[in-house]
Amino acid sequence: MPRVLTTCIYCGCGCGLYLVSDGKRLTGAYPSKNHPVSRGALCVKGWNCYEFSNDLNRLTTPLIKKSGKFVQASWDEALGLIADKFCGFRDKFGPDALAFLSSAKTTNEENFLMMKLARAVFKTNNVDHCARLCHASTVVGLAATFGSGAMTNSINEFEDAEVILITGSDTTAQHPLIGSRVVNAVKDRGAKLIVIDPRAIELAKYAVIHARQRNGTDVAWINGLINVIISENLLDKKFIEERTEGFESLKDLVKEYTPEYVEKVTSIPKEKLVEIARIYAKARKAMIIYSMGITQHTTGVDNVKSLANLAMVTGHIGFASCGVNPLRGQNNVQGSCDTGALPNLFSGYQAVADEAVRKKFEAAWDVQGLPAKPGLTVTEIISALGNGSVKGLYIMGENPVISDPDSNHVKECLGKAEFLVVQDIFMTDTAEYADVVLPSASFAEKDGTFTSTERRVEKIRKAVEPPAEAKPDWQILCDVAKKMGYKRMDYNHPSEIMDEIAGLTPIYGGISYGRLDPYGIQWPCPAKDHPGTPVLHKEKFTRGKGAFMPRPYIPPAEPVDEEYNFVLSTGRVYWHWHTRTMTNRTSTLERESPEAYVEMNTEDAKALGIRENQIIKVSSRRGTISLKTRLGDKVVKGSLFIPFHFREAAANVLTICAVDPIAKIPEYKVCAAKVEKI
Amino acid sequence: MKIKIIEKKNIKDLLKEAAAEWNVYAPQRNLGGDVWFEALSKPGTDLDKALESVVLEGPDTVISAKDIFFPQLETLFSFNDGKIHEKIESSPKLLFGVRPCDLKGILFADAFFKRNLEDKYYLSRVENRFIVVIGCLKPPRSSCFCTSAMTGPFAKEGFDLQLVEYKDLYLVETGSQSGEEFILKFKKYFKDCPCDFEKTVDEVKSRAAGSVELKVDFQKALELMGQESFIPEENYKRIGERCIYCGGCLYACPTCTCFNVFDNSKDKSGERMRNWDGCVYEGYTRETSGHNPRKDKWQRASRRYEHKLKYDYKQAGSSGCVGCGRCLTSCPVDIGMSKFIQEITEKRKIM
Repeated sequence: MPRVLTTCIYCGCGCGLYLVSDGKRLTGAYPSKNHPVSRGALCVKGWNCYEFSNDLNRLTTPLIKKSGKFVQASWDEALGLIADKFCGFRDKFGPDALAFLSSAKTTNEENFLMMKLARAVFKTNNVDHCARLCHASTVVGLAATFGSGAMTNSINEFEDAEVILITGSDTTAQHPLIGSRVVNAVKDRGAKLIVIDPRAIELAKYAVIHARQRNGTDVAWINGLINVIISENLLDKKFIEERTEGFESLKDLVKEYTPEYVEKVTSIPKEKLVEIARIYAKARKAMIIYSMGITQHTTGVDNVKSLANLAMVTGHIGFASCGVNPLRGQNNVQGSCDTGALPNLFSGYQAVADEAVRKKFEAAWDVQGLPAKPGLTVTEIISALGNGSVKGLYIMGENPVISDPDSNHVKECLGKAEFLVVQDIFMTDTAEYADVVLPSASFAEKDGTFTSTERRVEKIRKAVEPPAEAKPDWQILCDVAKKMGYKRMDYNHPSEIMDEIAGLTPIYGGISYGRLDPYGIQWPCPAKDHPGTPVLHKEKFTRGKGAFMPRPYIPPAEPVDEEYNFVLSTGRVYWHWHTRTMTNRTSTLERESPEAYVEMNTEDAKALGIRENQIIKVSSRRGTISLKTRLGDKVVKGSLFIPFHFREAAANVLTICAVDPIAKIPEYKVCAAKVEKI
Repeated sequence: MKIKIIEKKNIKDLLKEAAAEWNVYAPQRNLGGDVWFEALSKPGTDLDKALESVVLEGPDTVISAKDIFFPQLETLFSFNDGKIHEKIESSPKLLFGVRPCDLKGILFADAFFKRNLEDKYYLSRVENRFIVVIGCLKPPRSSCFCTSAMTGPFAKEGFDLQLVEYKDLYLVETGSQSGEEFILKFKKYFKDCPCDFEKTVDEVKSRAAGSVELKVDFQKALELMGQESFIPEENYKRIGERCIYCGGCLYACPTCTCFNVFDNSKDKSGERMRNWDGCVYEGYTRETSGHNPRKDKWQRASRRYEHKLKYDYKQAGSSGCVGCGRCLTSCPVDIGMSKFIQEITEKRKIM
């Protein structure tokens, strides 16, 4: 059978690949040679992404829970029940008794429809998705400082960088085709790599400087860098004067962040800090890469704003191979934000609080009274489910039991839920709590678009039919809307949904399926003849002038103490994806990383009499898990690191649901834990 | 053997006719410009459209033709309630436009699947097969080094027909009885050669060989690697650290035939499947106890080079590397066999 060009389902690199099938099922995945990101290569997950779709344990029919057991049901019955229940809750308790969790794995069209369903049909802004758990800090922080919360430059530009500063990103594990470009730039073109990360990530071996800061002290070292840049006169005065505002307040605040003070707070030796500042500031093509290590903190927004300050003070904005580059994790988390699956924003980051915006959407959607008050965020929705203020929750393509912080709390809340709908491709830990389970199509079984981390809107193209009665998410959402009597959610094909998105969303204004062959367009693309935008903020920032937003260092929410004396951080491994529902059904990936483990420093282990590969208990104030040790010096003394993929020893049983006050993102990267031998 | 030519403009008609009897495979351009060696559709369904996208002039295909006989994922048998149903595929296949390096890969894989245990799933696929090689006038990839590996740009044997491109026609070399029969069968397309066949073929072939810029001392590499005491640990360590373990080099390599076997099952029914595996993965040699004789990265990275340049040669009499350069072009961190050979034979650090 001919190969179908599509986009990878896993990370935000957005690699182009071909899926092959035998007519019925997928039989292979191959890289696209001409795609600008893959260029003939893929990572191990991309090469093996053909496998999970075929697993015989796919959800194939709707299921309704009757007397505690799941029973097969017809679509009519399942959707009828959902409409019934949701209408009942809305009529009795108001629209905000409902909530919707959209999915960063599904398409732009599907995310748009989820928020349209929540807003136009059910009149609630309680719609959110997992960006809340990963880059909400970026969306808020960069929108405030630059006017646009997305990666400023493009993936291929890493190859020409002179200096790359990576903080809070294990790039070769999470974004392999970006991490590879960093390796090539360093090894073949003499680029200088700076890594600022408590862990000795793979890339650290190529770094000219690897600074291992204490978890959660990022605002301090970033302010420290700016302090040095100002005191050594390495700032870009012209850029600051012409392109920014608020410099004086920044200068004032960073005065106290001397290298000596920063060393006390962060443990980064002052000579290293000064050296980093000099290397970064003196180069012209200097790029910042950051990810969860910066965003997943109670000070996530402050961390992001500080990085923005750093880039602006050195004029590293607005041309090729510079900028502030948050690496978006999911294949379509950028798109889910772009299309408005957020409680306070419509698509294109247009505020629900803005009356003119509401009127525009009301006209397009043929409804009145779109809600003006921002809704609840992911962790708030879960808690509301537990205390009964949200009665009905609709979850699409998301597994909060494994991915949300404080799993025991999540399970308790889900257990108390009045009515839960879960729409997914496999029966997940979350789906077990559902009252109705709906089977959806995988990425290989539908058309649509994803938006990658470099703002590239690209197509996925259907290669095979979904199994049995499974349907594409967009069709299911339309069916729900129709059951509710809403007439304006009826499309023949996802391209029509994209046309609607383009009509309402200025940054996607010029995007249509006809223009996306073969490899997509990078937004902003405001008009039909606009070629797309590789570099943001070229002549001016999206908000006009870049705003310096100086922030003071605030320590993490749960410091270590005598009892819980280890700092626990969580993260990812190269082989698995998030809650592992797809990668554990992929033979090669599962074999390479079959079980949970905790990284511990060799000296700590020795002092406690713990060996390599020994099963120990790790506990926090939230819960306990048992798992094998992996010793070494990847983590410093007093630290632990646990990948969160493994449901058998779920790291999020231990993590704390303390959130950033503005972005509401949980502090996955810091909490206090203790270990016990069994 | 009659000396024949076929005009380029008649190829598509020839393929169309042949498609009535064979599953025809040819290089075709897909969306985005990528070229794949894959099946043309059966007659009556999209055949004309597929023929339009056939590319015969030096296309760079991402992988070789290996997945025709050895798919990336295949079901060996399905089982249901104690009954087993095997899946054997043995349709007649005409491969049109195989590159000489890829032919070498096919022959190498044939030998592998016959050695020790006869793999019926692979062998039934190749049972009824006709191969037409088209030599390369210039390298499809900058990473090609077939002249060094002595596998191209034209094949010496192993084909049924080999086409030598010359102006607007192909000079046809027959390599087997089947090849001769094919020419007879489709004689309306195969005309007498209007020029001095031998001379023209020689000229085209040597010009083509001269156009391969990348040259490495392949023989020296084989000699070095063949020495028991030769273990370039420093090179392996650098490669092992740089490698991101994507598997691309193995997946794209025409002679890599390692596979993993696993079950996809639900309750009492399911299927036993196999898919492409690779020696650079840690799990490849991990034993049940958890012990791994090749745990360190450099030991795993070294496997690939030892396989291709040492053990294949010992076992099969020919090197596993066909000089196609695909390992390099499918590698996100620019590691490749040609570079390894250069490193060990020229004693320098490239990767």
